Amino acid sequence: MYDYIIIGAGVVGTAIARELMKYDVSALMIEKENDVCNHASLANSAIVHSGHDPKPGTLKAKLNVEGNRLYEELEDTLDIPLLKNGAFVVAQSEAEEKRLKSLYERALENGVKDCSILDREEALKREPNLNSKVTMVLDLPTTKVTYPWEVTLANAENAIENGLEFKKSTEVTQIEKTDDVFTVTTSEGTHYKTRSIINAAGAFTGVIAAMIEEHPKFEITPRRGEYFVIDRHAKGFINHTLYPVPSEKGKGILIVPQVHGETLIGPSSEFQDDPENIDNTKDGLSKVRKGATKLTDKIPFNKVIRTFTGVRASSTHKDFFIQESEEVKNLIHVAGIDSPGLSAAPAIAKYVVNTLIKANTDLRDNPSFNPRRKGIKLFNQMTDEEKKEAFRYDPRHGNLICKCEKVTEADIVHAINRNVPGDTVKGIKKRSRAGAGICQGGYCEHNVIHLIAREKNKPVTKVEYYDEGSYILKSETKVKQ
Amino acid sequence: MNYDLIIIGGGAAGIAALKNAYDPSLNILLVEREKSLGGILKQCIHNGFGVHHYNEELTGPEYAVRGIESVENLDVEILTETTVIDIEKKDSVFNIRMTNTHDGEHTRSSKSIILSSGCYERTRGAIQLPGDRPAGIMPAGSAQRYLNMEGYLVGKKVFILGSGDIGLIMARRMKLEGTDVLGVAEIMPYSNGLTRNIVQCLHDFDIPLYLSHTISDIRGKSRLEGITLSEVDEEFNTIEGTEKDFDVDTLLLSVGLIPDINMFESLSFETSKKTNGAVVDQTYQTSVEGLFACGNALHVHDLADFVTEESEKAGKAAKTFLMENGQKNTSFIDLEASNNIGYVLPQKLDMDQPFDSVELSFRVTTKGDKGVFVIHQGDQEIMSKKARFVVPAEMEKITLKRELIDTTEPISIRFEVTK
Repeated sequence: MYDYIIIGAGVVGTAIARELMKYDVSALMIEKENDVCNHASLANSAIVHSGHDPKPGTLKAKLNVEGNRLYEELEDTLDIPLLKNGAFVVAQSEAEEKRLKSLYERALENGVKDCSILDREEALKREPNLNSKVTMVLDLPTTKVTYPWEVTLANAENAIENGLEFKKSTEVTQIEKTDDVFTVTTSEGTHYKTRSIINAAGAFTGVIAAMIEEHPKFEITPRRGEYFVIDRHAKGFINHTLYPVPSEKGKGILIVPQVHGETLIGPSSEFQDDPENIDNTKDGLSKVRKGATKLTDKIPFNKVIRTFTGVRASSTHKDFFIQESEEVKNLIHVAGIDSPGLSAAPAIAKYVVNTLIKANTDLRDNPSFNPRRKGIKLFNQMTDEEKKEAFRYDPRHGNLICKCEKVTEADIVHAINRNVPGDTVKGIKKRSRAGAGICQGGYCEHNVIHLIAREKNKPVTKVEYYDEGSYILKSETKVKQ
Repeated sequence: MNYDLIIIGGGAAGIAALKNAYDPSLNILLVEREKSLGGILKQCIHNGFGVHHYNEELTGPEYAVRGIESVENLDVEILTETTVIDIEKKDSVFNIRMTNTHDGEHTRSSKSIILSSGCYERTRGAIQLPGDRPAGIMPAGSAQRYLNMEGYLVGKKVFILGSGDIGLIMARRMKLEGTDVLGVAEIMPYSNGLTRNIVQCLHDFDIPLYLSHTISDIRGKSRLEGITLSEVDEEFNTIEGTEKDFDVDTLLLSVGLIPDINMFESLSFETSKKTNGAVVDQTYQTSVEGLFACGNALHVHDLADFVTEESEKAGKAAKTFLMENGQKNTSFIDLEASNNIGYVLPQKLDMDQPFDSVELSFRVTTKGDKGVFVIHQGDQEIMSKKARFVVPAEMEKITLKRELIDTTEPISIRFEVTK
């Protein structure tokens, strides 16, 4: 019997899991995918927004501003990267200036720090490649960019270090409640008993709710967003995160410098029925290209190394839907987490635990909780002295596997052997950046496959790219000696 | 560790450069990231190599072995399983950061460098193919490596996008391995591969070639399940109503090769937007004194034989630079690609160097059965040469005599198609 089962290992589920492990509780996190961070947390803009945009008084506004502040602490505690590059919201007409000014008022009301209005000259001085039609800019210096993969992994690894149990490749198929005990049945036929459930299943929160509620109070309306990734060698054409003036439809198409030097261009915004449809479309990409070009015409689209699509778990409830079920006691929904979900994630976790759970449960502190987590110290990020020491200790640091991102064999072996193991090609990319560079794995993929096979003691034909069934090598053509 | 010359990459280019740069008085190091020399030739087990250079038909590995044998007794240092990470230049000395499991990450210095690091394959992301993003879509060269070097087949039903030579070679190779090869699509109205490859790899195996076609959709959640092929109009937009679906588990991409010069994080040199490689003069020297480039790291060649030929010259030039304490000159004449020419190499002529003639390598941008190449300097036509059956896939060469160059004005070359 668990005290808590958390369904979903995205950035929100893992943040809640970590927050819960600060207390003396037993908890299990269940994820249907073969890794943490495989859906909305995987594919998004990676921005820690300042909190200027959500409507004042909403959970989005409150948790965004607080989450932004919390990231500053977590940078060190969880060893996650933060690019503190600030953001500009760019107005290009009188009408937009008017909306920009009310956005500024909103930012102040939400408690966003240090924001100000810049005139054209100042804006162009600080961001020379801005479209020269710019008339006014809202400067948001607290806007940051993080690495959502690392944030999610950090949460999960730290929570597991502190006692969380984790089952991946396990889909919840049925939930029943008798007396005060839930029975959660999974795809592998196991029945897990728990006193409480936290539904953090992202785009599938509605599916989970429908397993136990007669009348769920929210409905998920998945919304896709397409992106271009620009090679890190082209970095510097824009330094701030750039937003257009927001409209009814959302924050619009952005230009976002990334922590490792790439630049993201996107997202588009279209509703779709299938929460798992992540295809790229000609239409979507051409909208993104057109939209982003309004911010600057200096985007090097000839340096695109990848395109991708993310699906936001938007809901019919416009704000985040974070509350205990009205029908089923001890079932907490954390649903409708679209933008600014990544920014708010650490604050969502605190809100769920401190406000919702503590309202009717006494939680005792976990005396052995260790808040600190160290990420993989990648060879490429070491000083010369550290490199010498690391190589002496492990000569596999001399074997460069990914030459674009300079990832060594030892880095990859570490990634494979973390407490949340990277055991797919994509899993390795998420943890070490092998394959994230300009040749997109053309050079290193075969080596990565062999390392996974060796470390996991399985045939290379069983190594998968991403999810189950995504094998890369079909069969052997030679009998191995 | 100080060297006169460090050669980066031991494929066809590096081997030829080494052989020709060699002099007993020079201290030379060749760095190769794989276990043995030979580069991509090692995975090209088909024949057709060596016709120009050795006057006989060899397979890729045979061609590689000939090269390796020609340098193995030279008194030079060859460091394999070593990867170059970064290069910087300080006070006319190059500091080359490299790594291997023996010495870890370390720096070696040299007076000059020959960059012969080959090229990498353009990816799906770079050409922004629409559709689902499952496993099973990969560059043809990767599939070739898996099959020929490691003994793994990447799929059982395959379609190929792009009629570059690797795509054509892999169409035949996978067919021979028992795979269903359903077709090759090429967005251009003509093939991008050598004619002999179209005949020997597609026609001989009844593999259809779809010209003016591209992939308009990709299906599959985890592993590729199918693709949609569409015809394109003259502006390369897909034409509605021409869609054909194919159920395949593999899509190989043969959509271009790009010189691999990405190990330069700290040293910049002039590059060409057309070749994606360095800008060089007729000695294959880049804009950085003492830095030479050749082979597919400079521009992508059709044949290994041409890589060898070019790299021999680059090797000789590096040797001359070292023996004569050569310096980078400043009086250059620009060479420009004009009408119907994609690019021309070299991009500059160093007029202070002694030379009688220079071989220009270039590609046309349009197909022409009959036509003429015209070379201009300023307003003056200085040379012309008739041409037959010219296609973008095949590199053209012209020898330009120095005596024809009268002024310091830029020289341009164009292709006039005879109607």
